Amino acid sequence: MLRITVQKALKGGFLSPKHVSPMLSKGTGDVQKKPQQIEVFVDDKPVMVDPGTTVLQAAAMVGVEIPRFCYHERLAVAGNCRMCLVEVERSPKPVAACAMPVMKGWRIKTNSEMTKKAREGVMEFLLVNHPLDCPICDQGGECDLQDQSMAFGSDRSRFTDIEYSGKRAVEDKDIGPLIKTIMTRCIHCTRCIRFASEVAGIDDLGTTGRGSDMQVGTYVEKFFLSELSGNVIDLCPVGALTSKPYSFAARPWEIRRTDSIDVLDAIGSNIVVCTRTGEVLRILPRVNELVNEEWLSDKARFAYDGLKRQRLITPMLRNGFGELEPVDWECALVSVGKKILKAGKNVGAIAGGMAEAEALVALKDLINKIGSEKVCTEHAYPTTGSGTDIRSSYLLNNKIARIEEADLVLLIGTNTRLEAPLLNSRIRKGYVHNETQIFVIGPKVDLRYDYTHLGTDPGVIKDIEYGKHQFTTVLKRAKKPVIIVGPDALSRPDGAGILLHIQSLAKIIQACVTEPDWWVLNILHKVAGQVAALDIGYTPGTKSIVQDDSLKVLYLLGADENIPCRKDLPKDCFVIYQGHHGDKGACMADAVLPGAAYTEKQATYVNTEGRAQQTTVAVTPPGFCREDWKIIRALSDIIGKTLPYDNLDQIRCRLEEIAPHLTRYGDAENGNFYDVSLDIGKQSNVEIETDPLCVTQNCLEDFYMTDVISRASSTMAKCVSAVRQQKSSQY
Amino acid sequence: MASRAMNLAQRQVKPILSLDQDEARKRAINLYRAWNKQLPFIVRHFDIPKSVEQCRQILREEFTKHENLTDVRVIDMLIIKGQMELQESVNNWKQKGHIMSYFKETIEPKPKDFLSKFLQGVD
Repeated sequence: MLRITVQKALKGGFLSPKHVSPMLSKGTGDVQKKPQQIEVFVDDKPVMVDPGTTVLQAAAMVGVEIPRFCYHERLAVAGNCRMCLVEVERSPKPVAACAMPVMKGWRIKTNSEMTKKAREGVMEFLLVNHPLDCPICDQGGECDLQDQSMAFGSDRSRFTDIEYSGKRAVEDKDIGPLIKTIMTRCIHCTRCIRFASEVAGIDDLGTTGRGSDMQVGTYVEKFFLSELSGNVIDLCPVGALTSKPYSFAARPWEIRRTDSIDVLDAIGSNIVVCTRTGEVLRILPRVNELVNEEWLSDKARFAYDGLKRQRLITPMLRNGFGELEPVDWECALVSVGKKILKAGKNVGAIAGGMAEAEALVALKDLINKIGSEKVCTEHAYPTTGSGTDIRSSYLLNNKIARIEEADLVLLIGTNTRLEAPLLNSRIRKGYVHNETQIFVIGPKVDLRYDYTHLGTDPGVIKDIEYGKHQFTTVLKRAKKPVIIVGPDALSRPDGAGILLHIQSLAKIIQACVTEPDWWVLNILHKVAGQVAALDIGYTPGTKSIVQDDSLKVLYLLGADENIPCRKDLPKDCFVIYQGHHGDKGACMADAVLPGAAYTEKQATYVNTEGRAQQTTVAVTPPGFCREDWKIIRALSDIIGKTLPYDNLDQIRCRLEEIAPHLTRYGDAENGNFYDVSLDIGKQSNVEIETDPLCVTQNCLEDFYMTDVISRASSTMAKCVSAVRQQKSSQY
Repeated sequence: MASRAMNLAQRQVKPILSLDQDEARKRAINLYRAWNKQLPFIVRHFDIPKSVEQCRQILREEFTKHENLTDVRVIDMLIIKGQMELQESVNNWKQKGHIMSYFKETIEPKPKDFLSKFLQGVD
């Protein structure tokens, strides 16, 4: 597996000019004193740069952008497209700006005759072997080759096919249900290959042949299956790799772009939702260095077609024949309201993983007004001890971006690769560039990097804590250690014990850490709504609902995964389901209230590190769907317990009253009181059991369909079958 | 007269019909009277299911709607429009529907409170 630091050690300093990148120079951190800056001139403008800076980076500092195809700031430097050639004074040949470190006093000319001629020449060669596909190419309008041939190419072509032999043609590859390949368009920038081996950790892509016979592909007939594979579509500067679900759907100039937040995992990736004619056509990542850099997981990117299928579009009530019958809002609200009034205080609510803060607050306010305290989330979390009262005991305290700085990562009961692909890519980044050591307690899963497995028995945590395990010394010696605990480890019956021991282990390790603001204890969540729900004061886990025999009304707010089944509930219990997809929850419900999905509402989500972010409205909700908090507000009106907010501003004021960080969008509010939480926890006595730690998502197959949207998505279903097909193939 | 000329010079606007408030008031009252006289004929000619009394009430409402206006030019413009409408009804250029539209019977009021807005699906 690729590991740049190892290569560096093997080859000495040979790779240094090729591997200078800001990320790397920041990451290694073994520079003793700050080296002297050197002065260079870009188009006669003087600029002071650190030694080792490339020509391209120096030019970027003075605001000159040098055209490039193969160079990408988050990938290793390849220097094979030659588009970034620039003239350097007193140098006989133009130099490749992306790979050449600047020397003292260099005068770089980015607009000279020689530079222009070099670019024209490169462009001409590229275009000789590039098909005139633009009118039928999906990249048209956002193609680097198109743009740069307009800006830097020659104004006429010398390409005449004298022999009528046609242009170079390459066979297309079938690399899975997500990425469409038209390999004739490939300009061999190798960005996809570098992404696959460096970021995704899958060395499936590579080149074969040389010269005009060179091809990018998978060597053998094989799918390129990774949880991050969609990113190669964004990376490809031409139309060689395009999105299969989006093929021939729209042109970039006719779609509307809406900035939003992804809610299919707890990372809260920043996304752009592209829409046209009231339909989501594709989802692209938006750069946020603190959260997702510029990557996006495949589920977040491709599950959008699930937003159009299996939707609940009208309120429904179960009729005498036991069938759900469409009714109008008034009728639905009145009959639901009657049931709630009749139930009195015997009302409970379960919030699902995709419920936003607004709806959570409205529902909690309503249930509390009725006189019940039974508001819980469907995903369990330890409640003994300080429970979820103290934020540090349920947050990824060290923040996602700083995970890559860690020199030791201990993963407990988690498969970060599938539960939070972008967190895993951070760990991998540390592994590749930073010599991070990774240790795992829990099932042996494929994380796409090497790790030391410490066992599946949760008792190992205790051994490490008491210093009985040899790993304790390793952990104590680390400068920047992090412990990441997965949701599956903590939702076990003995989760409280596991959390307690991890907390006290973290305290021991924390004492050895000298780095300021470095937090060892990190909890990972699986669903986007969990942190907000815990912040607002929901009880995690559905235990209190299942145990209640007098329950008359159960309100499911988008809860589909871990809900009690009908026979666990009292016979006369009336189940209300509010949500956007017809799944498990809607099936067992007596009344269905259709809500809006995350692309259809302006809503607040708090990610696993405690960062509040908001989605925005990209399309209008279909049919009679309404925004979730409004449904609850309307219902409160019907039952005569009117909630005191009528619009988004007012409910956000209420959010602020409860927890001010919920409306500070973009900021991550830190956890606190680590020791207090531990001390309270020690008062309760929960022991760790001996059953091995396990996770629900073990292999790539389990990644694609985990929630109502991705289960309704046919693209995701195709991915699952592709993974199964791959398993049975001989490669 | 001199002061009026001064006023005019100061305001620098061209009068439409009336030179001051009083004149505009007179015109408005005249228009109101003319309409009032015409109402019985309107009820009969257009065969509307309304009595003269009901029409008087609507007429009054139409005038009192603008009772707070002070700008003479605006009042004048409304008087001109009123006269045009009157002429249209006298000459039978209007039809039954046009007359009935003064009563706004088919216009549903916009929802104001949260619940009715929610049920109608408007924000």
